Amino acid sequence: MCDTCGCQLHEHHHHDTKVVEVNRSLLEANQKQAESNRHHIEHMGAVAINLISSPGSGKTTLLERTIDELKASCSIGVIEGDIETERDADRIRAKGVPAVQLTTGGACHLDAPMVHGGLHVLEHFAKGRPLDLIFIENVGNLVCPATFDLGEHRRVVLLSTPEGSDKPAKYPATFKSADLMLITKVDLLPHFDFSVEEAAGQARALKPELEIITLSATTGDGFAGWLAYLRGLLAQRTAHEH
Amino acid sequence: MHELSLARSLIEQILALAAEHRARRVNRVVVTLGPFSGVVRDSFEFGFNILKQEQEPVREAVLELETPDPEYVCRDCDKVAVIPFPRQSERLELARCGLAAKKCPWCGSNRLSPRGGTELILNQLEME
Repeated sequence: MCDTCGCQLHEHHHHDTKVVEVNRSLLEANQKQAESNRHHIEHMGAVAINLISSPGSGKTTLLERTIDELKASCSIGVIEGDIETERDADRIRAKGVPAVQLTTGGACHLDAPMVHGGLHVLEHFAKGRPLDLIFIENVGNLVCPATFDLGEHRRVVLLSTPEGSDKPAKYPATFKSADLMLITKVDLLPHFDFSVEEAAGQARALKPELEIITLSATTGDGFAGWLAYLRGLLAQRTAHEH
Repeated sequence: MHELSLARSLIEQILALAAEHRARRVNRVVVTLGPFSGVVRDSFEFGFNILKQEQEPVREAVLELETPDPEYVCRDCDKVAVIPFPRQSERLELARCGLAAKKCPWCGSNRLSPRGGTELILNQLEME
Protein backbone atom coordinates (compact mmCIF):
# COMPACT_ATOMS: atom_id res chain seq x y z
CA MET A 1 0.00 0.00 0.00
CA CYS A 2 1.15 3.52 -0.73
CA ASP A 3 2.00 5.41 2.47
CA THR A 4 1.43 8.88 1.06
CA CYS A 5 -2.13 8.60 -0.24
CA GLY A 6 -3.28 5.28 1.23
CA CYS A 7 -4.26 3.85 -2.16
CA GLN A 8 -4.08 0.12 -2.77
CA LEU A 9 -1.91 0.44 -5.83
CA HIS A 10 1.46 -1.20 -5.85
CA GLU A 11 2.78 1.67 -7.92
CA HIS A 12 3.28 5.08 -6.44
CA HIS A 13 2.58 8.03 -8.67
CA HIS A 14 3.51 11.31 -7.06
CA HIS A 15 5.17 14.18 -8.89
CA ASP A 16 5.12 12.14 -12.06
CA THR A 17 7.67 9.72 -10.72
CA LYS A 18 6.61 6.27 -9.72
CA VAL A 19 8.30 3.50 -7.86
CA VAL A 20 7.60 0.01 -9.06
CA GLU A 21 8.33 -3.03 -6.93
CA VAL A 22 9.72 -5.55 -9.37
CA ASN A 23 11.23 -8.35 -7.34
CA ARG A 24 12.34 -10.44 -10.28
CA SER A 25 15.53 -12.35 -10.83
CA LEU A 26 18.12 -10.91 -13.21
CA LEU A 27 18.44 -14.43 -14.52
CA GLU A 28 14.75 -14.58 -15.41
CA ALA A 29 15.28 -14.61 -19.17
CA ASN A 30 17.97 -17.28 -18.90
CA GLN A 31 15.82 -19.31 -16.51
CA LYS A 32 12.81 -19.24 -18.85
CA GLN A 33 14.95 -20.37 -21.77
CA ALA A 34 16.53 -23.09 -19.59
CA GLU A 35 13.07 -24.46 -18.71
CA SER A 36 12.14 -24.43 -22.36
CA ASN A 37 15.40 -26.24 -23.24
CA ARG A 38 14.59 -28.90 -20.64
CA HIS A 39 11.16 -29.47 -22.21
CA HIS A 40 12.75 -29.55 -25.65
CA ILE A 41 15.28 -32.18 -24.51
CA GLU A 42 12.58 -34.26 -22.80
CA HIS A 43 10.44 -34.02 -25.92
CA MET A 44 13.42 -35.41 -27.85
CA GLY A 45 13.38 -38.29 -25.32
CA ALA A 46 16.85 -37.41 -24.01
CA VAL A 47 18.63 -36.64 -20.75
CA ALA A 48 21.12 -33.76 -20.66
CA ILE A 49 24.27 -33.33 -18.60
CA ASN A 50 26.14 -30.05 -18.12
CA LEU A 51 29.87 -30.69 -17.63
CA ILE A 52 31.74 -27.95 -15.78
CA SER A 53 35.43 -27.77 -14.85
CA SER A 54 38.59 -25.75 -15.25
CA PRO A 55 40.37 -25.99 -18.63
CA GLY A 56 42.37 -29.19 -19.05
CA SER A 57 40.70 -31.30 -16.39
CA GLY A 58 39.65 -33.93 -18.91
CA LYS A 59 36.07 -33.17 -20.00
CA THR A 60 36.63 -34.09 -23.64
CA THR A 61 38.72 -37.16 -22.81
CA LEU A 62 35.97 -38.28 -20.43
CA LEU A 63 33.45 -37.90 -23.25
CA GLU A 64 35.62 -39.82 -25.74
CA ARG A 65 35.83 -42.85 -23.47
CA THR A 66 32.16 -42.56 -22.44
CA ILE A 67 31.18 -42.62 -26.11
CA ASP A 68 33.38 -45.69 -26.76
CA GLU A 69 31.76 -47.51 -23.84
CA LEU A 70 28.14 -46.53 -24.45
CA LYS A 71 27.88 -46.05 -28.21
CA ALA A 72 26.55 -49.56 -28.81
CA SER A 73 23.78 -49.28 -26.22
CA CYS A 74 22.63 -45.66 -26.53
CA SER A 75 22.65 -42.74 -28.88
CA ILE A 76 24.73 -39.74 -27.79
CA GLY A 77 24.94 -36.11 -28.91
CA VAL A 78 27.37 -33.45 -27.73
CA ILE A 79 27.27 -29.66 -27.53
CA GLU A 80 30.75 -28.22 -27.06
CA GLY A 81 31.33 -24.76 -25.61
CA ASP A 82 34.64 -23.01 -26.16
CA ILE A 83 35.84 -19.49 -26.65
CA GLU A 84 37.49 -20.44 -29.94
CA THR A 85 38.08 -23.39 -32.34
CA GLU A 86 36.24 -26.54 -33.42
CA ARG A 87 38.89 -28.82 -31.89
CA ASP A 88 36.68 -30.45 -29.28
CA ALA A 89 33.75 -31.04 -31.64
CA ASP A 90 36.19 -32.59 -34.14
CA ARG A 91 37.44 -35.00 -31.46
CA ILE A 92 33.85 -36.05 -30.68
CA ARG A 93 32.89 -36.37 -34.37
CA ALA A 94 35.90 -38.65 -34.85
CA LYS A 95 34.03 -41.04 -32.52
CA GLY A 96 31.07 -41.08 -34.91
CA VAL A 97 28.77 -38.99 -32.73
CA PRO A 98 27.00 -35.76 -33.73
CA ALA A 99 28.66 -32.74 -32.15
CA VAL A 100 27.91 -29.01 -32.31
CA GLN A 101 30.64 -26.52 -31.52
CA LEU A 102 29.43 -23.31 -29.88
CA THR A 103 32.18 -20.72 -29.93
CA THR A 104 31.38 -17.92 -27.52
CA GLY A 105 33.86 -15.46 -29.01
CA GLY A 106 35.20 -14.46 -25.62
CA ALA A 107 32.32 -15.22 -23.24
CA CYS A 108 33.42 -17.27 -20.26
CA HIS A 109 30.33 -19.48 -19.98
CA LEU A 110 27.45 -20.95 -21.98
CA ASP A 111 23.95 -19.61 -21.39
CA ALA A 112 20.53 -21.09 -22.08
CA PRO A 113 19.87 -19.16 -25.34
CA MET A 114 23.17 -20.40 -26.82
CA VAL A 115 22.30 -23.98 -25.89
CA HIS A 116 18.84 -23.56 -27.41
CA GLY A 117 20.48 -22.76 -30.75
CA GLY A 118 22.88 -25.67 -30.24
CA LEU A 119 20.03 -28.13 -29.66
CA HIS A 120 18.47 -27.31 -33.02
CA VAL A 121 21.78 -27.76 -34.83
CA LEU A 122 22.37 -31.02 -32.95
CA GLU A 123 18.99 -32.35 -34.10
CA HIS A 124 19.93 -31.39 -37.64
CA PHE A 125 23.26 -33.27 -37.35
CA ALA A 126 21.53 -36.30 -35.82
CA LYS A 127 19.49 -36.57 -39.08
CA GLY A 128 16.29 -37.75 -37.41
CA ARG A 129 18.00 -40.32 -35.22
CA PRO A 130 16.62 -39.96 -31.66
CA LEU A 131 19.19 -39.08 -28.98
CA ASP A 132 19.24 -40.66 -25.51
CA LEU A 133 22.03 -38.71 -23.87
CA ILE A 134 23.13 -35.14 -24.54
CA PHE A 135 26.35 -33.85 -23.04
CA ILE A 136 26.88 -30.11 -22.88
CA GLU A 137 30.55 -29.40 -22.32
CA ASN A 138 30.75 -25.92 -20.81
CA VAL A 139 33.58 -23.44 -21.35
CA GLY A 140 36.53 -24.41 -19.14
CA ASN A 141 36.00 -22.19 -16.08
CA LEU A 142 35.22 -22.96 -12.44
CA VAL A 143 33.50 -19.64 -11.74
CA CYS A 144 31.01 -18.20 -14.23
CA PRO A 145 29.22 -21.31 -15.58
CA ALA A 146 27.77 -21.99 -12.10
CA THR A 147 25.30 -19.10 -12.45
CA PHE A 148 23.65 -20.25 -15.69
CA ASP A 149 21.11 -23.08 -15.87
CA LEU A 150 21.26 -24.46 -19.41
CA GLY A 151 18.25 -26.76 -19.14
CA GLU A 152 20.32 -29.76 -18.06
CA HIS A 153 18.99 -32.61 -15.90
CA ARG A 154 22.25 -33.13 -14.04
CA ARG A 155 25.23 -30.88 -13.43
CA VAL A 156 28.56 -32.67 -13.19
CA VAL A 157 31.74 -30.92 -12.04
CA LEU A 158 35.17 -32.42 -12.78
CA LEU A 159 38.19 -31.98 -10.57
CA SER A 160 41.44 -33.48 -11.89
CA THR A 161 44.19 -34.60 -9.53
CA PRO A 162 46.87 -32.17 -10.86
CA GLU A 163 44.64 -29.22 -9.90
CA GLY A 164 44.92 -29.93 -6.17
CA SER A 165 42.36 -31.05 -3.61
CA ASP A 166 41.56 -27.56 -2.32
CA LYS A 167 39.46 -26.52 -5.32
CA PRO A 168 35.99 -27.19 -3.79
CA ALA A 169 36.78 -24.76 -0.94
CA LYS A 170 38.20 -22.19 -3.37
CA TYR A 171 35.30 -22.33 -5.86
CA PRO A 172 32.32 -23.07 -3.59
CA ALA A 173 29.53 -21.82 -5.89
CA THR A 174 30.37 -24.28 -8.65
CA PHE A 175 30.84 -27.33 -6.43
CA LYS A 176 27.72 -26.51 -4.41
CA SER A 177 25.63 -26.26 -7.57
CA ALA A 178 26.71 -29.69 -8.86
CA ASP A 179 24.84 -33.00 -8.55
CA LEU A 180 27.95 -35.12 -9.05
CA MET A 181 31.67 -34.50 -8.66
CA LEU A 182 34.05 -36.58 -10.75
CA ILE A 183 37.61 -36.73 -9.49
CA THR A 184 39.46 -37.38 -12.75
CA LYS A 185 43.00 -38.50 -13.70
CA VAL A 186 43.30 -40.74 -10.63
CA ASP A 187 45.99 -42.66 -12.51
CA LEU A 188 48.21 -39.64 -11.73
CA LEU A 189 47.62 -39.78 -7.96
CA PRO A 190 51.12 -41.16 -7.23
CA HIS A 191 52.68 -38.12 -8.91
CA PHE A 192 50.67 -35.32 -7.31
CA ASP A 193 50.02 -34.13 -3.80
CA PHE A 194 46.26 -34.71 -4.11
CA SER A 195 44.10 -36.12 -1.35
CA VAL A 196 40.81 -37.66 -2.51
CA GLU A 197 39.66 -37.58 1.10
CA GLU A 198 40.37 -33.85 1.45
CA ALA A 199 38.65 -32.96 -1.84
CA ALA A 200 35.61 -35.09 -0.96
CA GLY A 201 35.51 -33.63 2.57
CA GLN A 202 35.58 -30.06 1.30
CA ALA A 203 32.93 -30.73 -1.34
CA ARG A 204 30.62 -32.48 1.13
CA ALA A 205 31.07 -29.62 3.63
CA LEU A 206 29.48 -27.45 0.93
CA LYS A 207 26.85 -30.00 -0.05
CA PRO A 208 26.46 -33.13 2.07
CA GLU A 209 24.37 -35.00 -0.53
CA LEU A 210 26.86 -34.48 -3.40
CA GLU A 211 27.67 -37.74 -5.20
CA ILE A 212 31.35 -38.39 -5.86
CA ILE A 213 33.03 -40.80 -8.29
CA THR A 214 36.78 -41.14 -8.80
CA LEU A 215 38.00 -42.33 -12.19
CA SER A 216 40.62 -42.28 -14.88
CA ALA A 217 39.49 -42.00 -18.50
CA THR A 218 42.96 -43.19 -19.57
CA THR A 219 43.15 -46.46 -17.63
CA GLY A 220 39.38 -46.97 -17.18
CA ASP A 221 39.86 -47.22 -13.42
CA GLY A 222 36.56 -46.31 -11.67
CA PHE A 223 34.82 -45.84 -15.00
CA ALA A 224 32.20 -48.49 -14.24
CA GLY A 225 30.74 -46.23 -11.52
CA TRP A 226 30.32 -43.35 -13.97
CA LEU A 227 28.71 -45.59 -16.60
CA ALA A 228 26.35 -46.99 -13.94
CA TYR A 229 25.41 -43.40 -13.00
CA LEU A 230 24.57 -42.62 -16.63
CA ARG A 231 22.63 -45.87 -17.10
CA GLY A 232 20.70 -45.00 -13.93
CA LEU A 233 19.69 -41.64 -15.45
CA LEU A 234 18.61 -43.32 -18.68
CA ALA A 235 16.55 -45.87 -16.74
CA GLN A 236 14.84 -43.08 -14.75
CA ARG A 237 14.00 -41.33 -17.98
CA THR A 238 12.38 -44.49 -19.36
CA ALA A 239 10.45 -44.89 -16.11
CA HIS A 240 9.07 -41.33 -16.52
CA GLU A 241 7.92 -42.05 -20.05
CA HIS A 242 5.79 -45.02 -19.10
CA MET B 1 33.65 -11.75 -16.39
CA HIS B 2 29.99 -12.75 -16.70
CA GLU B 3 29.03 -9.52 -14.90
CA LEU B 4 28.74 -7.76 -18.26
CA SER B 5 26.18 -10.22 -19.62
CA LEU B 6 24.20 -9.95 -16.37
CA ALA B 7 24.29 -6.15 -16.58
CA ARG B 8 23.04 -6.43 -20.15
CA SER B 9 20.10 -8.61 -19.15
CA LEU B 10 19.31 -6.19 -16.32
CA ILE B 11 19.14 -3.30 -18.78
CA GLU B 12 16.89 -5.31 -21.11
CA GLN B 13 14.60 -6.08 -18.18
CA ILE B 14 14.48 -2.39 -17.17
CA LEU B 15 13.74 -1.22 -20.71
CA ALA B 16 10.86 -3.69 -21.00
CA LEU B 17 9.42 -2.52 -17.67
CA ALA B 18 9.83 1.15 -18.61
CA ALA B 19 7.92 0.52 -21.84
CA GLU B 20 5.23 -1.41 -19.98
CA HIS B 21 4.74 1.50 -17.55
CA ARG B 22 5.04 4.12 -20.31
CA ALA B 23 7.93 5.76 -18.50
CA ARG B 24 10.25 8.13 -20.35
CA ARG B 25 13.10 7.88 -17.95
CA VAL B 26 14.39 5.56 -15.26
CA ASN B 27 15.97 7.40 -12.32
CA ARG B 28 16.87 4.68 -9.88
CA VAL B 29 17.37 0.94 -10.00
CA VAL B 30 17.62 -1.18 -6.84
CA VAL B 31 19.25 -4.58 -7.18
CA THR B 32 20.14 -7.20 -4.58
CA LEU B 33 23.36 -9.12 -5.17
CA GLY B 34 23.50 -12.17 -2.93
CA PRO B 35 26.92 -12.67 -1.31
CA PHE B 36 27.27 -16.07 -3.04
CA SER B 37 25.77 -15.02 -6.37
CA GLY B 38 29.22 -15.19 -7.94
CA VAL B 39 28.90 -11.58 -9.08
CA VAL B 40 31.64 -9.08 -8.39
CA ARG B 41 29.97 -5.87 -7.30
CA ASP B 42 32.44 -3.43 -8.87
CA SER B 43 32.52 -5.23 -12.22
CA PHE B 44 28.73 -5.37 -12.33
CA GLU B 45 28.42 -1.66 -11.54
CA PHE B 46 31.09 -0.85 -14.12
CA GLY B 47 29.29 -2.92 -16.79
CA PHE B 48 25.94 -1.31 -16.00
CA ASN B 49 27.33 2.22 -16.18
CA ILE B 50 28.95 1.56 -19.55
CA LEU B 51 25.92 -0.17 -21.08
CA LYS B 52 23.32 2.32 -19.85
CA GLN B 53 24.85 5.01 -22.06
CA GLU B 54 23.65 3.14 -25.15
CA GLN B 55 19.99 3.47 -24.12
CA GLU B 56 18.22 6.82 -23.74
CA PRO B 57 15.64 5.81 -21.06
CA VAL B 58 18.32 4.52 -18.67
CA ARG B 59 21.17 6.89 -19.47
CA GLU B 60 20.77 8.78 -16.16
CA ALA B 61 19.74 5.79 -14.06
CA VAL B 62 21.52 5.37 -10.74
CA LEU B 63 22.21 1.79 -9.71
CA GLU B 64 21.78 1.05 -6.00
CA LEU B 65 23.22 -2.29 -4.98
CA GLU B 66 22.14 -4.05 -1.83
CA THR B 67 24.56 -6.73 -0.71
CA PRO B 68 23.36 -8.76 2.28
CA ASP B 69 26.02 -10.22 4.58
CA PRO B 70 26.98 -13.84 3.92
CA GLU B 71 25.57 -16.59 6.14
CA TYR B 72 27.25 -19.92 6.81
CA VAL B 73 26.25 -23.18 8.42
CA CYS B 74 28.97 -24.86 10.43
CA ARG B 75 29.25 -28.53 9.46
CA ASP B 76 30.69 -29.36 12.88
CA CYS B 77 28.31 -27.64 15.34
CA ASP B 78 25.37 -26.98 12.95
CA LYS B 79 25.06 -23.35 14.09
CA VAL B 80 24.48 -20.50 11.67
CA ALA B 81 26.93 -17.61 11.56
CA VAL B 82 26.80 -14.30 9.73
CA ILE B 83 30.35 -13.35 8.77
CA PRO B 84 30.69 -10.17 6.67
CA PHE B 85 33.27 -10.19 3.90
CA PRO B 86 36.28 -8.14 4.99
CA ARG B 87 36.96 -4.93 3.07
CA GLN B 88 39.86 -4.91 0.64
CA SER B 89 42.03 -2.89 3.06
CA GLU B 90 41.17 -5.21 5.96
CA ARG B 91 41.97 -8.29 3.90
CA LEU B 92 45.63 -7.39 3.70
CA GLU B 93 45.77 -6.68 7.42
CA LEU B 94 44.05 -9.99 8.22
CA ALA B 95 46.45 -11.80 5.90
CA ARG B 96 49.41 -10.17 7.64
CA CYS B 97 48.13 -11.43 11.01
CA GLY B 98 47.43 -14.90 9.61
CA LEU B 99 43.70 -14.47 10.21
CA ALA B 100 42.46 -14.62 6.60
CA ALA B 101 40.69 -17.98 7.02
CA LYS B 102 37.06 -17.92 8.16
CA LYS B 103 36.24 -19.79 11.34
CA CYS B 104 32.97 -20.66 13.05
CA PRO B 105 32.49 -18.10 15.84
CA TRP B 106 30.78 -20.79 17.98
CA CYS B 107 33.19 -23.71 17.81
CA GLY B 108 36.21 -22.51 15.81
CA SER B 109 35.78 -25.05 12.99
CA ASN B 110 36.73 -24.01 9.45
CA ARG B 111 34.17 -26.35 7.88
CA LEU B 112 31.74 -23.58 6.99
CA SER B 113 29.23 -24.01 4.21
CA PRO B 114 27.60 -21.00 2.50
CA ARG B 115 23.86 -20.80 3.18
CA GLY B 116 21.54 -19.25 0.55
CA GLY B 117 22.78 -15.95 -0.79
CA THR B 118 22.81 -16.86 -4.49
CA GLU B 119 20.03 -14.38 -5.35
CA LEU B 120 20.33 -11.71 -8.08
CA ILE B 121 17.18 -9.65 -7.91
CA LEU B 122 15.85 -6.52 -9.53
CA ASN B 123 13.88 -5.13 -6.57
CA GLN B 124 12.67 -1.70 -7.44
CA LEU B 125 12.59 0.88 -10.22
CA GLU B 126 11.90 4.58 -9.95
CA MET B 127 10.63 5.95 -13.25
CA GLU B 128 8.99 9.04 -14.65
